[in-house]
Amino acid sequence: MSLPGLDLTQPSADNQFAPAPPTQISLSKGSEWRFEVAFGTVIRAKLLAGTAELFGTELAPSQTYTFSGTKGAIYTWHGCTLEVSAGDTGPAVDGLAPGGMNGAIACGLGAGGCQSEYTAEETPMVEYANVHFALETMRQEAKATGKDGPRVLILGPANAGKTSVAKILTAYATKVERQPIVINLDPNEGMLSVPGTLTATAFRTMIDVEEGWGSSPMSGPSAVPVKLPLVYFYPMQNALEAEGSIYRPIVSRLALSVMGRMAEDEEARETGIIVDTPGILSQGKPGSLETINHIVTEFSITTILVIGSERLYSLMMKNYDNKPTSSASAVASDERITVVKLSKSGGCVDRDAAFMKGVRESQIRTYFFGNPIPSTASAALSLSASSTTNVTLSPHAQQLDFNSLGIYNYTIASLDEDEDDYDPSQFGASDAFLPGGGNDAEIRPTQQQDETSRAMPLPGIVSSIEGATPGTAANVPLKKVSPPAPSTLANSLLAITNAPPTASAVDIRDASIMGFLYVADVDSEKGKIRALAPVGGRVPPRAIVWGKKWPGEVVGLVG
Amino acid sequence: MSSGLASDEVAEDYKNSLEDLTTNDRFQISNLTVIAKENTEHAMAISRVLENHIRTTPPVQKLPALYVVDSIVKNVGTPYTLFLGRNMYQTFMNAYTLVDSQTRRKLDEMLKTWKEPVPGSLDTRPVFPPEITRSIESALIKARTAALQQQQARSQQEVLTRGRVGTPPGWASNSPTPQNPARYPPSTTSTPPMLYHRNGGPGHGFPSADPRSTPTPQLQQQPDVDLSALNRDIEVLITAARSDFANNPLDPSIQQRLKALLDLQGILQRQELTQEQLKLVRDQVSALAPKPAITVPPTLAPVIQAVSTPSMAIPPVQAMSQPLQQLLNPGTLAELIKTTAVRQQPTPPPQAQNILPQVPSSATPQPPVTSNPENPLIAALRARGLLPSASATPTTSATPPSNLASGFPFIVPGQVRYTPPVPTPQAIETSNVQVNVQMNTASIKIPRNVLIATLYESKSNRCGTCGRRFFVTDDGKGKKARHLDWHFRTNQRMAEAAKRAQNRSWYVDERDWIKSREVGDDEGLVETETSGEGTTGSDGGSAKKGPPKQWIRAPNDATLRNTPCPICQEKFESTWSEDVQDWIWQDAVKVGNRVYHASCYAEVTKDGPTPAHRVTPSGRTGTPDSILGKRKAEGADYPGQNVRVKTESG
Repeated sequence: MSLPGLDLTQPSADNQFAPAPPTQISLSKGSEWRFEVAFGTVIRAKLLAGTAELFGTELAPSQTYTFSGTKGAIYTWHGCTLEVSAGDTGPAVDGLAPGGMNGAIACGLGAGGCQSEYTAEETPMVEYANVHFALETMRQEAKATGKDGPRVLILGPANAGKTSVAKILTAYATKVERQPIVINLDPNEGMLSVPGTLTATAFRTMIDVEEGWGSSPMSGPSAVPVKLPLVYFYPMQNALEAEGSIYRPIVSRLALSVMGRMAEDEEARETGIIVDTPGILSQGKPGSLETINHIVTEFSITTILVIGSERLYSLMMKNYDNKPTSSASAVASDERITVVKLSKSGGCVDRDAAFMKGVRESQIRTYFFGNPIPSTASAALSLSASSTTNVTLSPHAQQLDFNSLGIYNYTIASLDEDEDDYDPSQFGASDAFLPGGGNDAEIRPTQQQDETSRAMPLPGIVSSIEGATPGTAANVPLKKVSPPAPSTLANSLLAITNAPPTASAVDIRDASIMGFLYVADVDSEKGKIRALAPVGGRVPPRAIVWGKKWPGEVVGLVG
Repeated sequence: MSSGLASDEVAEDYKNSLEDLTTNDRFQISNLTVIAKENTEHAMAISRVLENHIRTTPPVQKLPALYVVDSIVKNVGTPYTLFLGRNMYQTFMNAYTLVDSQTRRKLDEMLKTWKEPVPGSLDTRPVFPPEITRSIESALIKARTAALQQQQARSQQEVLTRGRVGTPPGWASNSPTPQNPARYPPSTTSTPPMLYHRNGGPGHGFPSADPRSTPTPQLQQQPDVDLSALNRDIEVLITAARSDFANNPLDPSIQQRLKALLDLQGILQRQELTQEQLKLVRDQVSALAPKPAITVPPTLAPVIQAVSTPSMAIPPVQAMSQPLQQLLNPGTLAELIKTTAVRQQPTPPPQAQNILPQVPSSATPQPPVTSNPENPLIAALRARGLLPSASATPTTSATPPSNLASGFPFIVPGQVRYTPPVPTPQAIETSNVQVNVQMNTASIKIPRNVLIATLYESKSNRCGTCGRRFFVTDDGKGKKARHLDWHFRTNQRMAEAAKRAQNRSWYVDERDWIKSREVGDDEGLVETETSGEGTTGSDGGSAKKGPPKQWIRAPNDATLRNTPCPICQEKFESTWSEDVQDWIWQDAVKVGNRVYHASCYAEVTKDGPTPAHRVTPSGRTGTPDSILGKRKAEGADYPGQNVRVKTESG
């Protein structure tokens, strides 16, 4: 499945830049080099001298790091010299002479390979590092007194640098041999998983410099130790969807698991947790304060970091500062919440919809296919193993019988906002606007279905589980998708839960996720779907939740 | 329902309305359909307006416009079908090549509906005549196939597709054309200009449909280089060089030139080059075509003249204002050949070679700057402050030559790795520095360099691979040793694993996650594959057949994985092992070709010879042990097994 521009890598406007040789960038103490790399563009960075870190994770000297489709910043506490060059064929070019030729760039782009890159002198890194040290102070205390370590909540509007702060705090914590549990509550961007997931992961080893947070376990080894996430599926972009009635129970469930881990895992308990949130919670939307309160309560948050929103900061101060935490021992130990304001980094850039889409697609692709870009390890290994040592994964394609799968879908009216879209295959939907009369257009009866309150422009959404557990389940807008297989399944993700296919809607909603299927094709007539599974063998007989609206369609994952 | 207006007025109105249509809005599309329906007498004008609009509108707005077409032909039909059908191939294909993949899918779906009758209509004819849809479809299929083939051909290098099109100005000619050259290279004979709009560029016009608008491999990710033409060109150059060589067999420059060309030809024929590289080659080859000698402008900085011969292809001074990368092209082919040809002495074609003669013999301990064809340029540029990113900081302007050379380690023998000065360990024993920072907004603004040192200087012992830091204490050293072991094992396993297919594992469930403990990369393996000492206290250290492992890697093969333990007939359960970084079967032992539960196996083998015989598989044969019970006589043949049994029972 490849057409011009439809390749695995999206072409970028920067494609037409002429190559240039490696560029050296010297950073003075306490400054950072900010760069943006488009999808489909690869740049390589190497630390020649000094020390440098990317969101807290230190770069190894003389190692080549590869970046693509990212916006990042390399900071230095001590000053450093970086060498930046365009991605080259690296180990793929035959006959790289052992030693010495490693840095040779056959077709370099130079720093010009970045969409934008510049050096910034002013950064809030001192603040961020001090937050780490303050947390470290609390951890030492926790260790001494047997209390729980700090539970940090990071709030701030979209693109304020929340995830970057989470990464920095995590990286510093692992650097001093702590083991924080990092929780991502932002369905826009996955952490160690695809978008649409809420995850918790204990970080003990280094965060991958090149690959976001790193990689979840694979059947083979990984140059950077893999991280083991606990994954829940929230197939909506907006955490406040349906007044948070779906988001909050999942958060509660996640919090329960995390507390369970904290209770048993001494190191995790001492280190505490770091919670990253979606920006929408900090943008004054109705229901967001309730959701914040929910998170603060469920995770017994001790420290609230507010980035880039004065208004939210004062609100949080008012609501939480110096209030007792919700932890069971709070009363005894007089544990109180602190609210701290952090400066937003000047390097925060708005990531437009197209870029975020690229991020989503690359996360989904990485889940199934691994990381196609040669990584550090491959650069390090290229002397011994000239083949590509970057991890390429081979998912298994298989035909599945639609009827044998218990596929559920969230049906929330407000989700179907694109119903006003013109859709050629839904011809006739717009007939109401046309003058009646002597042409060949007629209203298709099936269109009426669209107008129902739980509008699903699909045939065959029947509420089959509502009766199972009346009361609670009735509130969960999770409906089994009944045959025929809707064609809109194609190119979307299906999350395999750990719940049995006949479980109640509540159980399915709250179940953690085993993994994802990607639907390549749907044959509605035969009731077959062709799907990509990460692992070979039979698809486990579990309830499956359809990510219809989110993470949405990814076209061209398989041919 | 005639509006009574002149066609061009209607068309103008319609055009304006169309321009307001920027999103897929059903209401607007319906309106436009209604207008079209009310003005069927101006159908031709409206159709033209639609076609023009689709052609000129930005890619993101093409889909709504095409939906208007769809809506009109389905709701109104003739005469629009007729008028719009005429140029539908071009209209559709033009749009298709320019939109993103999501939109393409939508277009595919729309095209599908065009092959069918209008839903609900009595008319059984398809929306558009089959010949129109068929021509579009076959073009799409062709493009897909071609693209697929091409993608396979260069699957290895697809990440590196960065098109640089055309001959760089200032290199091939004396008259540089610095009009936004990066985006619109002046001489793009091989590529249709449409390419530059492909990725949703601004809404300027597109060349009207030409036969090339059919997506062919030419329209791939980046413009292709015509390989055969390139080969032809090189052939011509080789012939010329040969005849030169025949005339002047002793001239080393001709020899070198010929050799370089032959090498280049060989490289091309082996097809090892990416499109990117091919373009470079093409540019170089076209630059090699006979042309008036390039003169060095007298205004060149002395630093350049000091290191370069007059024949060096220094771009004219005006070109300095152009992107740096184009100035530096002379060296790229040299690099290309260097990296491609195995360690071969760089023998770039003459133009680049003209630069090389000044390379001092490697014995001469000259500043390494001059040994790189690019360095004079860079030096010159630095001197003139034209290398912004590097010269922006004061340190670089005073960069010593050795530092410069470290940027080009491939050219400097012996300077393979630049080892940066590790920040001097201040000998702060920070392991017990008491971190005490208050968590409040004022406190966190105070810089605390001493604490930063706990992240850096206090752990000066670094891992060279991943940059992890360790204390210089014995404990830290031990950790580092185990950590390096971990790297070593991982690298080994990665090399192994590259041979077999790998896949993402299922995520763990809540219980397992809560029970799981992160294992660092500094803790060494509790048990390795060679030491079979499991926690169950298994024996067998002396067994010749190798000690039984208490766990094995879960096999990749599906049949093997589904084969139960022959003794208890239960399947094995795969569990993720942090130690091994792989899926393993706990309590499993592989004997011969079969996998048993270690406990089952121990159980059975312990009970004396009879059951042992019954289940002992043939360890030395390759045949599957489907007939376990029939192998009684073989028990004595396996000393290893006997030893094992003895130790177990004794």
